Amino acid sequence: MTKFLAILKREYIQRVRAKMFIVSTILLPVVMSSFAIVPAVILNLPAGPMRVAVIDQTGKLYGRLEEALAKDEGGDQPDQNRPGPEMVDRDIQLDQVASVGPDAAAERAKLDDRLRAKDLDGYLVLPQDFVAHGKAEFFNNNPGDELSRRILQSVLTRAVREQRLIEAQVAPETRQGLFQPIELQSVKIGATGEERDSGGGFILVFGVGFIMYLAILMYGQVILGAVIEEKETRIAEILFSSVRPFTLMMGKLVGVSLVALTQLAIWATAFSVFALYGVNLLASRGLKAGIPNIPFVQYVYFGLFFLLGYFIYATIYALVGSMVTTTQEGGQLAMPIILILVVSFYLFLPVSRSPDSSFSFWVSIIPFSAPVAMLVRIVTRTPPFWQIALSLLIGFGTVLSIMWVAARIYRVGMLMYGKRASIPEALRWARQA
Amino acid sequence: MNTDVTVQLDRVSKSFGDFTAVKELSLTVRAGRVFGLLGPNGAGKTTTIRMIVNITAPDSGSISVFGQKINEALQNRIGYLPEERGLYRRMKVVDQLRFFAELKNVRGKNVEKKIDEWLARIKLSDWKTKRSMELSKGMQQKIQFLTAVLHEPDLLILDEPFSGLDPINLELLKEIVLDLKRAGKTIIFSTHQMEVAEKICDDICLLNRSQKVFEGSLREIKSSFGRNSIALRLVGGDGVLDDPALVSKLVRHADEVQALLAKGADAQVLLRRLIDAGATIERFEMVEPSLNDIFITKVTEHA
Repeated sequence: MTKFLAILKREYIQRVRAKMFIVSTILLPVVMSSFAIVPAVILNLPAGPMRVAVIDQTGKLYGRLEEALAKDEGGDQPDQNRPGPEMVDRDIQLDQVASVGPDAAAERAKLDDRLRAKDLDGYLVLPQDFVAHGKAEFFNNNPGDELSRRILQSVLTRAVREQRLIEAQVAPETRQGLFQPIELQSVKIGATGEERDSGGGFILVFGVGFIMYLAILMYGQVILGAVIEEKETRIAEILFSSVRPFTLMMGKLVGVSLVALTQLAIWATAFSVFALYGVNLLASRGLKAGIPNIPFVQYVYFGLFFLLGYFIYATIYALVGSMVTTTQEGGQLAMPIILILVVSFYLFLPVSRSPDSSFSFWVSIIPFSAPVAMLVRIVTRTPPFWQIALSLLIGFGTVLSIMWVAARIYRVGMLMYGKRASIPEALRWARQA
Repeated sequence: MNTDVTVQLDRVSKSFGDFTAVKELSLTVRAGRVFGLLGPNGAGKTTTIRMIVNITAPDSGSISVFGQKINEALQNRIGYLPEERGLYRRMKVVDQLRFFAELKNVRGKNVEKKIDEWLARIKLSDWKTKRSMELSKGMQQKIQFLTAVLHEPDLLILDEPFSGLDPINLELLKEIVLDLKRAGKTIIFSTHQMEVAEKICDDICLLNRSQKVFEGSLREIKSSFGRNSIALRLVGGDGVLDDPALVSKLVRHADEVQALLAKGADAQVLLRRLIDAGATIERFEMVEPSLNDIFITKVTEHA
């Protein structure tokens, strides 16, 4: 046990002290948030207002258009019924061109000239029967600009809708009421009665799954490297004159995992601070957000199944590490692991649809899919305790078994010196004393 | 069981698949002596050592160390420097030594003092806080040596400890090994460098093709061979030395020749024949065979 701790301590301290750890701790959130922010910033690069001239042959829509635009810019409340991309916005500058009558052709020729002179981005022609048929044309010299066309279409849609309601003589208050957004609340019938649940459980499962995925993606390779380290530096034999291979492997696995958990904890703390700030901000604007309302015991399950999921996949990396001699070789062999992980993630859907089916039962017992599948079952229709316990037992049992096999393969591989094990060889090595 | 015996192997065999690494090997390492495990490459030296250190288990036969069947607890009393050895590249020398000591259940303040003492002894005190990747190969080798002795083991096993060392460092480590012996430690020393083994071993065991060829004290084996080796420095008389009835083996050095007398041949007859052949003889001396000669003779006989 003391030797296990010695290995764990070395593994942990060496890694946490490394510059790499500090840099990645700081850099990853920066990179991640820039993934979210940069595209939005690029899409919203100031393009200047879109200058649109309107030939309004209906004679009544121009005003509606201006109203719709004004509402769009002034409104704090997001219009939930508004179609089109929410993230992208572009100001529209309208310009009415008097145009009723036979002068239309001449007016259009003038507008065409302004288009060519880049004095204008485009012009709308709203035919007389537009309100009834809803077909109009937008002339411009950049038909590839789909986003701008959509924004224009959305504004136009609202203007026409308003006009149609007025023509149907709908009272202004009724018009307001018609567009009141609705809210759909899902209510879970649990053993104790009704529980209001705004899907927070699902979001949590998804979050846990995502963090698991992230941790594996980042630390799987680290574990692989850690297992190979003693082979590459040729220290393995010295170590084996002091510790059992299994102790060595477990020390490494747990040591690296604690590094991963440390990093996650740092991020979680930082995130919580921001989130708290964000929640307060939302609250001050009248929006409520909070910790999902689920029983405490479920948080314990979340923790346990997160650890299970992490360790199941981490040990496969350790197993691969025990078979290969260099990190590069290991990287190639490790690819399928990610595939299994992704597949097990997609089980989310079928399990949430029928959490009580025998399919759901089995995937929540099989260690590789259990972490996500069982959590989905827990938040939908909590299975009996014995199933949860069984799943955890089998899962952690599998972790230990894989490590045991990995330790044996590692030891024999070390005795063979720098030979990469094929799968049948690895199996034979595992059997050898 | 005799307390003077540190390691005892009794008909130990080990094979890997079809390959037999060690076959029916019995040997006795006496306490407080330097025991040389000698043999050509692939003779089974390393496998034998690994079984003694409990890295791998024998297929059959028994091994006892310090009078007990080998077990994990005994590992703490053994220091092992394998032929395949390295250091953690990014770890500081002092952290590294502390870690290896910890793996032998040695920790605490005392360790710090010992690390300083040992570093001073191998003249690397200035490198204490350097990462091992900054050290030269020879320095790394000396640090590796420390990892095997820092916890003051009663049994020290060294597999090719001096390969690649310059003469000064070789002498330094050799002195340390002999000091440890004087302090009552038992040392198993595996090598195929006969010149080094000859200088520090008390007892030797010759292995060839997974089997024991010879075991005993170095003195005994040398005297059993008798003085049938002749060191010669001469001009002319070539044909005489090539006569297989007189000389069984001839080794030519830069300006000297070493001749091993054939069985039943007389040195005086050889000398007379050389003079008759008109050779000018500057040196004609009957010497003890070197361990190297014995090694080659024994291994060739065995084959």
